[in-house]
Amino acid sequence: MSKKIGVYICSCGGNISDYVDVEKVKAAIETEENVAFSKTAMFACSDASQKEMEKDIQENNLDDVIVASCSPKLHLTTFRAVTVRAGLNKFSYYHANIREQVSWAHSDDKSGATENAIHVVKAAIAKMRHAKPLDPIIIRSKKAVAVIGAGVSGMRAAIGLAKMECEVYLIERNHFIGGHTAQWEELFPSEETGRDIITRLYQELLRYKNIKLYTGARIVENSGHIGNFILKVKIDPLFVHENPDISEVEKAIAVCPVTVPDAFNFNLTERKAIYRNHPGEFPERTVVDVQHCTRCGECIKVCKSIDFSKEETSLELQVGSILFATGFDPYTPGENEFGYGQIPNVITLPQFMRLIALNDKRLIVNGKDIKKIAYIYCVGSRQPDGDLKYCSRYCCTAAIHASIRARKKYQNISNFHFTRGVRTYGKQEVYYNESLRAGDVFLQSFDHELPVVYEKENRTFVKINDILTEQKELVLEADLVVLVTSMVPRTDQSTASLFKLPKGRDNFLKEVHMKLRPVETVIDGITIAGTCQGPMNITESVSSSLSAAVKAYSYVSKGEIELEPIVASINKNICTWCNACYEACPFDAINKVDEISKSYAVINNSICKGCGMCLPVCPYDAIELITYSNREIEEMIDMLSKD
Amino acid sequence: MHEARSEVEFDALVVGGGIAGCEAALNIANNGYTVLLVEKDLSIGGKMILLSKVFPTLDCGACITTPKVSEIARHTRITILTGSEVGSISESDNHRFKAGIVKHPRYVVDEDCTGCQLCEEACPVNVSDQYQFHLVGRKAAYIPFSIASPRIAAIDMENCTLCGACEKVCPTKCIDFTQEEEHWTVSVKTVVIATGFELFDPLGMPRYGFGLYKNVITSMQMERQLAPTRPFHTVLRPGDGKMPDRIAYVLCTGSRDTSVGNPICSQICCMYSIKQAQLLMGALPMADVTIYYIDIRAFGKGFNEFYEQALGMGVNFVKGKIGKIIEKDNGNLLLRYEDVSTGKLHEAEHDLVVLSVGVLPNKSMQSVFQDLSLLEDTYHFIKQDDPILNPARTSIEGVFVAGTATGPMDIPDSILSAGTASAEAISHIIQSQ
Amino acid sequence: MNVTDKKNAKILVFSTEKISDPAIDMAGLLKLHYPAKVYAIAIPCSSAVKSQWIMHAYEKGFDGVFIAADGSDCPYDETCTEKTGRIVSKTQELMKQKNMDPARLRMAAICSVCSEAFVKQIKSFNEYLIKSA
Repeated sequence: MSKKIGVYICSCGGNISDYVDVEKVKAAIETEENVAFSKTAMFACSDASQKEMEKDIQENNLDDVIVASCSPKLHLTTFRAVTVRAGLNKFSYYHANIREQVSWAHSDDKSGATENAIHVVKAAIAKMRHAKPLDPIIIRSKKAVAVIGAGVSGMRAAIGLAKMECEVYLIERNHFIGGHTAQWEELFPSEETGRDIITRLYQELLRYKNIKLYTGARIVENSGHIGNFILKVKIDPLFVHENPDISEVEKAIAVCPVTVPDAFNFNLTERKAIYRNHPGEFPERTVVDVQHCTRCGECIKVCKSIDFSKEETSLELQVGSILFATGFDPYTPGENEFGYGQIPNVITLPQFMRLIALNDKRLIVNGKDIKKIAYIYCVGSRQPDGDLKYCSRYCCTAAIHASIRARKKYQNISNFHFTRGVRTYGKQEVYYNESLRAGDVFLQSFDHELPVVYEKENRTFVKINDILTEQKELVLEADLVVLVTSMVPRTDQSTASLFKLPKGRDNFLKEVHMKLRPVETVIDGITIAGTCQGPMNITESVSSSLSAAVKAYSYVSKGEIELEPIVASINKNICTWCNACYEACPFDAINKVDEISKSYAVINNSICKGCGMCLPVCPYDAIELITYSNREIEEMIDMLSKD
Repeated sequence: MHEARSEVEFDALVVGGGIAGCEAALNIANNGYTVLLVEKDLSIGGKMILLSKVFPTLDCGACITTPKVSEIARHTRITILTGSEVGSISESDNHRFKAGIVKHPRYVVDEDCTGCQLCEEACPVNVSDQYQFHLVGRKAAYIPFSIASPRIAAIDMENCTLCGACEKVCPTKCIDFTQEEEHWTVSVKTVVIATGFELFDPLGMPRYGFGLYKNVITSMQMERQLAPTRPFHTVLRPGDGKMPDRIAYVLCTGSRDTSVGNPICSQICCMYSIKQAQLLMGALPMADVTIYYIDIRAFGKGFNEFYEQALGMGVNFVKGKIGKIIEKDNGNLLLRYEDVSTGKLHEAEHDLVVLSVGVLPNKSMQSVFQDLSLLEDTYHFIKQDDPILNPARTSIEGVFVAGTATGPMDIPDSILSAGTASAEAISHIIQSQ
Repeated sequence: MNVTDKKNAKILVFSTEKISDPAIDMAGLLKLHYPAKVYAIAIPCSSAVKSQWIMHAYEKGFDGVFIAADGSDCPYDETCTEKTGRIVSKTQELMKQKNMDPARLRMAAICSVCSEAFVKQIKSFNEYLIKSA
C-alpha cells in the first residue's frame, strides 16, 4: 500500500497568506504522489483546527501529516501532539516553515515567495515518503543522584533530593564540608552567620538515612550515561582516627613543625600541617594536610590516633543523574593590581570579611588601628579585555554589607566606596540606603579611568577622578584598602572536564538555555547549581540548587527515561572499523565490536545525541542519522532544485 | 446556572499562571502529581507572554512562553481555570487545604468557541484594549490577544450593550449571556503562590505628565509596540502617529524613590530599557535613544556584556535624575535634569518619553487565607520565612511562593524560584503521604 | 552554471536546528529580505553535512551551497567549526577535480541571533554567483 500524506497550508491569519498565495500552493502540491488530502487553514494551530485535523487524519486514514506554517521552533510539538492524539506516531509529522523563511523573508517578492513555498512543501512531501514510525529509546533509571560539591548549594540540593525520597551521594573534594559559606559571618538578608547556616544544613543532612556523604572524595572515572552513570570515586585516607584522644591531638598539633598559610582565613593566619576544622566546618575532626606534611613523625610520638599507613580507597557508585555544585574561586588580584601584594594594607574583600570575624573590639592590621577604609569595586570584574568582562553580581551588596558591619562593630570607622556604579539590585537597595544614611562616602570612577592606589612615605593613598563631583581629582589617605574582588570559575575544572560539561563565554559552566532550561546542561542527566554556573549570592545559589534538584528528580523519579530516537546508525556490513567516527564523536557514544572475522563500530543509543558529527568522516559512508538519511536529504534537494 | 461543584481533589494548587506559576505547575505535574492552576486573567502566560524580546539573549518572549503554555494546556495532570480567582484558603483535615475558587463568567462556552473572531468583527462597541496597554482599542466581544491561551472569545460585560450582534454571527452558538459565576471547592495538599507583581502606575507622579502628555508612555506600552504581535507595524508616538527620532528613557520611575513609597530597586527596569533601546535602534535606525539613569544595574549572567553592547551601538547613557517633564506645542517634551557628571541643570528635548516603570507587590493574596496568617515583608511582598536556606517557604507550612510574589525578579530568577517552590511542594506532598 | 534568472541564484543552505536556523527565522521576523531562491535544510549540526549531499545539490542544478555553521555556539562540541571547515575543504577538493569553482561553496558561522550577518552573507553570495555565471 502506498502512503497517504495529509498536507495543511496555514495562512497564519495573513502572516503567510498576505505574501504567499496559499491556494496556489495547495493546487501545486495536491497532485503530488502520496498526497491523499490537502487543506488550507486560517490558523492551523488553533484548537478548532487541531480538532479538525484529528478528525481528518482518522476519516482519511492518513499515515503522515505535514503542516506548512510558522517555524518548527514554535509549533512542531503542538502538531506532533495532534498526530499522536489521532493515533499516529509523532514522527509521522513534519513541519514545513513557510512563514519566517518564506512569507516574511520574501514579503517584497510575492510571486517568488509563492514559488519558494511550493518548493518547500514539495520537499517536505519527498521527505515524508520515507518517514517511519519511531519509538523513543527507553532506558531504566536508578533512583539515585550524585551531588558533587558540599557547599551550601550541594548540601541544600542533597537535602531537597532526600526529601523527595531519592538516594543521594554527596561527594566533597575537601575533608570538610561547608564551602565558602562556612567562612562568612553575618549574611544578608537574615543576619544569620554562614557558620549557623552550614551547621543547620549539616544537622539536617545527618537526619536523612538516604544521604551518603563522602569527604576527601573525587570522581575519577565515568563509564555511564543518563539513567545509569557508573562513577569511580577515590577517597583520600584520613590519617587521624575519627574519635581520637583530643588532648593527644592537641599535643600533636603543637609539636608539628610545619606551618602553612590557612586558606580558611584567606592566608591572614597560619595553621599546622595537622589541623582541626574551623567552627562551621564539618565533620568535626583532625586531618593531615598531605601536601605539606613532611612525615617527620613528631606527631606520632605524642598521639596514638595518627596512622600514616592508611591508604586511598575507591568505590563505585551507580546513579541516574548528577548534580554539579562545585562552586567558585574568589578572584586573586594580580601582582600590584591596585597595590595588592606590594602595599601591605591592601587586602581583598574575603580577607576583610575574615578580618572582621577575627578581630573583636578593634580592627588592627599590621599593628595599626584602622579608621579610614577605602573599598575599590569591580576588581576582577567588568574588565574591558580578557575573560573577566562580566559583572560579579554579589560583590556590591557584599562590600556594602561588610562595611556596615565594620562600622557597627568598631569605633570611628569611615568608609569610602570607590565604585563603578552601585548595583544593589532589588531589596538589597536598603543596605545602600543604610550606608548612605550612616555617612559613607560613595565615589564613582570612569570606566576607562580606574582609581589608583599608591604608597608614599609609608602612607597609602587612593586617587580617583570622580564622576559624581564634577570630575575633580580626589585623593584619599586610607588605613586599609579593600579590593572588592569578583567570583571566578574554579581553577580546577577536572571533574567538569571528565563529563565534558561545556563552559560559557565567562568560563563558568553553561546551561542549555537561561530561561527554558536554566539548570540543565547539554549532557543529558547532568544539572548544574549555584556558583559553578556564574556569580550569585547564597539565596540565589539555594534557589538554583533546588531547581536543579527537582530537575534531577524528574530524571530518576519514574524509574525510566524516554530519549529521542534521533541517533546515528552504522551499517556494520560496510564498516571496517577505521576509528574515524570514534575520533569524531564528542560524546564517546561509539564502541568497537570485535568479532572473529572483523571489527566494526556500533552506536550506544543512550549516549548518542544525534549531532551527526560522525557522518561525514566515514570513508565508506556507512553511517546515517535517523530522519536525515541520504535518501531523505537528497530527495529533498531534488525537489528544491526543480525549476 | 451552575451549582457549586462538589469537592475536587488535587495534589497542588498553583495560584497565578504567569511564567513562574506555569513553570511550577509543569515541574509538579511532570513528576506525577495533579495540579490545579488558577489564573485571574483570561489567558495564562502572565506579563511575559506580552513581551517583545527578552534580555540578555534577545530571544522572543512569546516564543519561550508559548511552548510552555501549550504544554500546560495539553497536560493531562494540569487543570486550568482562567478568569478565576482564589477566594479563600483554609486548613482542613489530614494536612490538606481547602480552597474556594470563583470562576467569573466569560459569557462564552469555552469548549465550543473556535476563536474565529466573527463576534469581534460584528461587535459594535469599541473600548480601550488593556492587553495592548491602551495603545489601541478592542471590541466588547474579543479574543484577549492573538497568542492567548485559551485562544477563545470573552464578552466584556461592563461595556457590552447586549445588542446581540455577536450571538447572531457566532457559527457555533457559543455565546451565552446567561452564564453566572461558578464556585469550586477544592482540596489540595500544597499551595504555590505565583501571583506576580503589579507595575507602578505613573499617574502617581504628576511631574512626568503621564496621562496628560500623549507622548509620555510607559515601558510596557513600548514593549507592545516592539512585540511580534504589536498593534502597529512600526513604532509610533501616540500623540500624532509620527515615527519618533529622539526617544528618552526615564529609569527608576516609581523605584528607589521614597516620595512614592518605594525605596527598593525594581531589578528589571535597567535591563528591559537597555533591551528596548537596542530593539529601537534596529526598528528605527535613524533614531537617537537616550537613557537617563541613576545607576545601571546590569548584574546578571550576560547583563553587563549586554549593557556594553548597547553602549557600542550608540545608545546615549546620561547619569541624571529627571526633575520635570514639560510638553511643547508640537507634542515634543522638555526634560529637566541634573547631569550628575557636571552638577549642572540641563534641559533636553525629546519627541517620545518612555517611563521605565517599576515593580510593586500584588496584594491579592492578603485576605485569602482564613485562620492562617500569610506574612508580608516591609514592602508588602510575600515574606520569605527562611530567605537564605528555604527561599520558597512562607509563614504557612505547606504554602510556598514562586517568582515575583516575593519581590522584584527577572525571568531567569523567576523560573529558578519556581523550580525551588516546586521542589518544596513535591517534598511536601511526599512527606504528607 | 544554471542561474535561471538574473536576480536570484539558486542557493541551498544547510542550517542547524538550534543555532543558525533560528537566526534565519529571525531574519524573516525582522523582514530582512534576501533573494527568493534560497532554501534551507535544517540539520542538527553543521559538522554533519556530507560532501555527497553538497555535490548532489550542484548536480541537480543549485548554483551555490551555503553552510550556516554553528561556530563556537555549537551545543554539541567546540570542535564543530573545525570539523565543518574540514568538510568544506574536502568538498572543495572534489569540486576542483570536476572543474567546478570552489567558491560556489561557502561557509560562515551564524549565531542564533546573527540574522543580519546571514542576510549580508547570502546577498553577497548571490551577487557572486550571478556575476560568475
